[in-house]
Amino acid sequence: MTTVNVGASERSLKQKVEQALGVVAEDAKLSKSYMTVAFIALLIGGFLGLFQGLERAGLIQLPSWFTYYQVLTAHGILLVLVLTAFFTIGYFYAGLSQVLGGILPHVRRMAWIGFWLKIVGFVCAVIPIIMNDATVMFTFYPPMAASPLFYIGLALIVIGVWMCAFGAFINVATWRKQNPGKQIPIFAFFATGVFVLLFFGSIGVTIEVIMLIFWSAGILETINVMVSRTLFWSFGHTLVNIWYLTAVSAWYTIVPKIIGGRRFSDTLTRVVVILLVITNIPGGFHHQIVDPGMGEALKYMHVFMSLAIGFPSLMTAYAMFSVFERTGRLKGGKGLLGWFKKLPWGDVRFLAPFIAMAAFAPAGAGGIAQTTNQLNQVVHNTLWVVGHFHLTVGTSVVLTFFGISYWLIPHISKRVLTPQMNRIGIIQTIIWTVGMLFMSGAMHYVGLLGSPRRTSYTTYGDHAVALGWDPYMILLAIGGTLLIVGVIIQVYAVFNMMFFAPKGKTEFPIAETEEEPQGKKPALWADRWGLWIVLMLLVVSMGYVIPLVDMIVNAPPGSPPIRTW
Amino acid sequence: MTQAGYGLALLLFLAIPPIAHLFESIMIIHMHMQMPLLVISGFFIATFFQKRYPGFFEKWNEDGIPGILLFSIVFSYWMIPRTMDEALTVPAVEVFKFISLPFLCGVPLRDSWFKISLFVKKIVFATFTLLFFALGVLYIKAPVQLCNNYLLIDQLTLGWGFLTMAICFMIFIVYYVFTEKEAT
Ligand code: HEM
Ligand SMILES: [Cu+2]
Repeated sequence: MTTVNVGASERSLKQKVEQALGVVAEDAKLSKSYMTVAFIALLIGGFLGLFQGLERAGLIQLPSWFTYYQVLTAHGILLVLVLTAFFTIGYFYAGLSQVLGGILPHVRRMAWIGFWLKIVGFVCAVIPIIMNDATVMFTFYPPMAASPLFYIGLALIVIGVWMCAFGAFINVATWRKQNPGKQIPIFAFFATGVFVLLFFGSIGVTIEVIMLIFWSAGILETINVMVSRTLFWSFGHTLVNIWYLTAVSAWYTIVPKIIGGRRFSDTLTRVVVILLVITNIPGGFHHQIVDPGMGEALKYMHVFMSLAIGFPSLMTAYAMFSVFERTGRLKGGKGLLGWFKKLPWGDVRFLAPFIAMAAFAPAGAGGIAQTTNQLNQVVHNTLWVVGHFHLTVGTSVVLTFFGISYWLIPHISKRVLTPQMNRIGIIQTIIWTVGMLFMSGAMHYVGLLGSPRRTSYTTYGDHAVALGWDPYMILLAIGGTLLIVGVIIQVYAVFNMMFFAPKGKTEFPIAETEEEPQGKKPALWADRWGLWIVLMLLVVSMGYVIPLVDMIVNAPPGSPPIRTW
Repeated sequence: MTQAGYGLALLLFLAIPPIAHLFESIMIIHMHMQMPLLVISGFFIATFFQKRYPGFFEKWNEDGIPGILLFSIVFSYWMIPRTMDEALTVPAVEVFKFISLPFLCGVPLRDSWFKISLFVKKIVFATFTLLFFALGVLYIKAPVQLCNNYLLIDQLTLGWGFLTMAICFMIFIVYYVFTEKEAT
């Protein structure tokens, strides 16, 4: 069996010091709180997902006091907003504490204020959802109008996230001032990239949400629907890449350490982060390929923008496999594929992120298909899309998060991962994988047959085509049932590791870089974040000036708020 | 291929009639993509001339000032609405655009940028930032169509393009001022 505590045999001085210092208690408490919320969101959101799956298969019918669409709204918000945001912030703050020698006291206070702003915001958003006054799905497209409280809640959540982003900037900037001439540690570099995207990516949606508050409160009479959708997706798409970048941070910096290897070229890693940050935001248009009010030429231009993101992804795939191969060969793997067998398959901290990466191959291919105009028209608003993002965020991202939890939770709780818990983790990973294969596979296929997304169970008056979807819906429900088992195991594992596992020290496993050629200077230019931000903003204006001016100047009459449910 | 080769390839690519037509069909892309790309092509091609005629640059562009002046004048010339219009209607002007931007902007920019002092660089950067602000306001505020070939909405878009660029430049200046202070 592969031992759970795989580590480089020789530890550098830096690591020894880190280990002696251990984890800063107050920072650990912060991260634990974020993790707790994240995994409670997973538990509730998971059950809501199950109900949806069962309803769509015609096995249950959701009651009139908690309709399918209320459930769907809550499922979306809990999982794509709460789970991911809380996990990302908790994870990066734990890492920043580790690599920057502790979170600064006032930054910690900011992160706590951010925490409570988000919680209050979330409560504000949930109340109208439960009261059926905000059944607008997580995309809250106007002209569907929710109660103002819902939008106020969203605005508070965003402000809470900004607190954490600025806290991270302050912490990194302070560290740089105290360490002149040194490179930002790679983990903090990823964190900076993620928080830059979180902040700049959410400016557009904040403008939208503020307008929506006034509009739903009756102060603004009408709203420009196209502009709202465009602003939403400038954020929605960026959010997707924030999760992706978070997962990628673990693939580049953590996974190599767990398999006992070294990480990929430091400079190239930084280039990948910079590219993802610069090219990201205008990609949002690929969510609007079927929207009216935008010329074909413009949509064509934006296909290019979204494909640009494929490039750093391919670099990542290459980097990962080169690290795996090198490590496998160092461990004595021979021949063409012998190294593959030498990887620690019995270690959940490796297995979960590995499956996550593997899932990204079909998920990314599906994404490239969707971004193509004609193919998008085939799958748009069908269950294919739902299948796609359960593969990307529901597998690639979430499974990486799960893999992280098996060392991060023990690390911040001053406990250890026991072999039993590792085994539970392996089982959980397998259940999740099989469940997603069923659910996402069925969704993809039935989407091609035309089954719409965001639609509760209906046979369209027993129409033959709609009846033909039913067998796949049963597969979907089977997958969903497996997944809920996975959710329960995962949440159990997290809270067990947080409160009941044996006490001990678990390190925050950041790999050392490959040996750089002698005399090679560190790539200090990569740390010029001000420059990357300016370039990012230039790309954003290149992408958005043309359509936004057109949508605003040539706007049709705006829409009043409409309650469609 | 050498740098100069890449530059030449880019220039030839941009000159292919359908490509040129595509870029010129949208006003902002004409000015903010085609023209800068032409300058960039010249920036690369410059290495060829620098190697071939070092004496020429030595003699005429010793401290970089003449070159940067030439660049500024020619580049500003192409920001006048009238010149864009003429490029579309008068073939000779279109040819002049494809020659002047690479060879009278890109080449001298390359030769000068590494010769001029930091102070001059700052002046050039600040001037263009101000110019972009001014042009942005001009194109947004102008109540009439400034080009025969482009609609008012194109003009407005271009104005916002200028303004957003100027804002980005401003952010860079602020960032630069701050980090420079830190470095000293
Ligand atoms: C127990 C596990 C899960 C099950 C059974 C499940 C099931 C479903 C189902 C059946 C739908 C509705 C399809 C429709 O009518 O359009 C859905 C939508 C969705 N799910 Fe899940 N899901 C699960 C986990 C997740 C996870 C982990 C995430 C993300 C982290 C996620 C994100 C979403 C999103 C964003 C939507 C779309 C909501 C909308 O269209 O407004 N789900 N899920
Ligand atoms: Cu996207």
